[in-house]
Amino acid sequence: MQGLLAIAWLTWKAALRFRLFLVIAVLLLGAVIGLPLLIKDDGTARGFTQILLTYTLSAITALLGLSTLWLSCGTLARDIEECQIQVVAVKPVGRWQIWLGKWLGIVSLNAVLLAIAGGSVYGLLLWRARQLPAQEQKTLAKEVLIARGSIKPPDFQREIEAETDRVLEERRQKSNSGPVNWREVRLEIREQIKARFQLVPPSSMRQWRIQLGVLKSLLRDQPLQLRIKFNAADKSPSGTFVGLWQIGVPQKTAFWRSDPMSLAPDTFHEFEIPRNLFDQDGVLTISFANDNNTVLLFPLGSGIEVLYREGGFGLNFARGLGILFCWMSLLAAIGLTAASFLSFPVAAFFSLGLLTVALSSGTLSTVVSEGTVAGSNPESGVAGHSVLDVVAVPIFRGILAVVRLVEDFSPIDSLSSGRSISWGELGAAFSQIVLLLGGSVGLIGMAILSRRELATAQGTQ
Amino acid sequence: MPAAETEAGETVVSVRGLSKVFKDFWGRSKARAVDDVDFDVRRGEVFGLLGPNGSGKSTTVKLLLGLLNPTKGHIEVFGRPPRHVQTKSRIGYLPEESYLYRYLNAKETLDFFGNLFHLPRIDRARRSEQLLEMVGLNQTLTRTVGEFSKGMQRRIGLAQALINDPDLVILDEPTSGLDPIGCREVKDLIVALARRGKTVILSSHLLADVEDVCDRVVIYYGGKVQAIGTLKELLTTPDAIRITTPVLSRATMERVLEVIRKDVAVDKVRIDNPTQNLESYFLDVVQKARQAAAETSGAVSGARIAEYLRGDGAGETGSEKLLERLTLPQPGQTAAPAPSVAAPAVDEKKLEDLTKSSGPDAPLAGSVPVTPEAAKDLSKADEKLSSLLGGGRPESGA
Repeated sequence: MQGLLAIAWLTWKAALRFRLFLVIAVLLLGAVIGLPLLIKDDGTARGFTQILLTYTLSAITALLGLSTLWLSCGTLARDIEECQIQVVAVKPVGRWQIWLGKWLGIVSLNAVLLAIAGGSVYGLLLWRARQLPAQEQKTLAKEVLIARGSIKPPDFQREIEAETDRVLEERRQKSNSGPVNWREVRLEIREQIKARFQLVPPSSMRQWRIQLGVLKSLLRDQPLQLRIKFNAADKSPSGTFVGLWQIGVPQKTAFWRSDPMSLAPDTFHEFEIPRNLFDQDGVLTISFANDNNTVLLFPLGSGIEVLYREGGFGLNFARGLGILFCWMSLLAAIGLTAASFLSFPVAAFFSLGLLTVALSSGTLSTVVSEGTVAGSNPESGVAGHSVLDVVAVPIFRGILAVVRLVEDFSPIDSLSSGRSISWGELGAAFSQIVLLLGGSVGLIGMAILSRRELATAQGTQ
Repeated sequence: MPAAETEAGETVVSVRGLSKVFKDFWGRSKARAVDDVDFDVRRGEVFGLLGPNGSGKSTTVKLLLGLLNPTKGHIEVFGRPPRHVQTKSRIGYLPEESYLYRYLNAKETLDFFGNLFHLPRIDRARRSEQLLEMVGLNQTLTRTVGEFSKGMQRRIGLAQALINDPDLVILDEPTSGLDPIGCREVKDLIVALARRGKTVILSSHLLADVEDVCDRVVIYYGGKVQAIGTLKELLTTPDAIRITTPVLSRATMERVLEVIRKDVAVDKVRIDNPTQNLESYFLDVVQKARQAAAETSGAVSGARIAEYLRGDGAGETGSEKLLERLTLPQPGQTAAPAPSVAAPAVDEKKLEDLTKSSGPDAPLAGSVPVTPEAAKDLSKADEKLSSLLGGGRPESGA
């Protein structure tokens, strides 16, 4: 342990003596203070949040992420290139301890930088919030400076898959034509069935039933927020669509009905609903009437959500920073592992390449869902075919599975929409990102470093 | 303690059939740096790895330390593989260049390496203080290693190699970049370590360094062992002898030569004054200059060997120990060779010159008036060294 801490201390010493710590801290504070000065908000709670929370936290993540990759690649690769590792590796410390000591040094450095930057964002947010109009301050307090839990209607995945298989089987039995691309047929059937669970046809109504479960007693006498988002099949001249919301079931529970609302598609809307509208079993019934000439689609998963107060903003913010810290820890592991077998510039390039792939998960996801790298014809909707599909699609699927372990957590979105980041979520982030992914990457790095010949380089200092 | 006095020649390092081939990216052989090498190093021995540049000395050292993997062969250090943590805890290593962290100062450097050996804080502080004094860097505690001269970097490098009081010290070109005083101190230190039963492996292409301190040497060329043995075995010329006496009268000299000529042809007999080597002379000059208390802004020299490294013979100076080793007959120990002076053939004129000033009060050999030519050379060296020191010409005798 003494050796491990000595190596971690060495990373700190290097960061301080080379003024790296100072430079990154100044850059981070510059982003936190400078961004709200450069980009003016529109005076609304939403605009204010967008700039002071979303933009600044995103900038902190980007800056800290890049510096973490750079530092982690540099600290090990340069030690090997400049031969200092030859003096350290012959001391009674395992190579894995050298790797782990450097990782500890970088993550502890990140923890301090993140605390400084996060603390500044928090202080600035509260200070600037007092300058908003009173009404916007109320909105901010209700929708952002709070930790809200979320309950969603079921996503019906199992039902959709079962129905898809049933319809597909029927098709198979009826089909007597030549060769058929059944994979494509199944995709099409699935989309059609999924639509049934999402669509609200013109002049009709859809109902969602949300089971509050154990939260029933907790949410009694508590106001709730409904957060919705929909897509429209056509454009409207005004850009908005009219709808009517009803919460509760007349003659069964207390109920509330909204005035006709004019809502824009493809964006989130939030409105408060009165308390105690769920029934004895804790089922909250939400109905929507589509008073338009076009179909509206409420996506499964993000279309309908009920939010409730779960805790205060301060602790929630700290948990959000905790998840960002988990991301940084993974980046440090990636950088160190790359440096375990590559020279500094190549390791940095390799790590940035990996990061780019991870950030391209949308493309990967499209390839996996379409089953081909060739894309599909937007006119006919027919998927293309490539000889690379056999190899590329499984690889992309694997990469996507790994990337999703990280992407499952979006603390910046949660914080800017006032949603709760639970301890459980933070624990899951730590387990998935730091222990599972970081641990696996770290083990690879340690194994490579342990096997590597460390004296092939001539000193370059 | 020299090799001959160690406990039944306990083997510290064992190398068998060691080969190292460097390969390119495609696995094709680029260079065979070490080729089928065998040797043992025993406890308490000062073992020299000699050879020209690129002969495989440093590669062997790095193989011994586990920094490179052998292509073929077997290495054991203290009976274990070189990369075993327990093995590494008994080794001190000074690399060919001082690969230290430039942003740490001298004290932080030693503290860092002390931590890697799991030394308690008090021990680290005590040893650091003693080592810094020993290597003459106790005046430059706050300067970072990056600001050090090459010689100072070698000194701090040497200090870090000794922080754990190692049983095996591996020194790769330890005197590279050091001034003659530093070289002497390093050599004294090596002797002191050997006296305490420590094993020293010294890799160098400086023959004088090796000759001064090593018990046994292995000579490399092209990655192969060309010769191995004690210095005595390797350097003694068995078919010649040398007799050194105070200056003799001409008559005595004639009588001696007459006796010798009965058995040996005239052209086989050589007579000359022994001379001291340049290093001894230089150290003498410096010793006198130091007495004039000149200040220096860099590393200071002449500090005592760290107490914890001195062991039993703490009171003696390194030079005394060296003298003792070189002069006392010790079974199995290699005698250090006499100052390297070529033995010229008998020159009657020279003989006359040599005996001209002789008499009952003739001076001892070491202070015999030298020939004008030799005196001129010596005078030149004296002036050069004096100017290097920045002081005036030392007083008489220098």
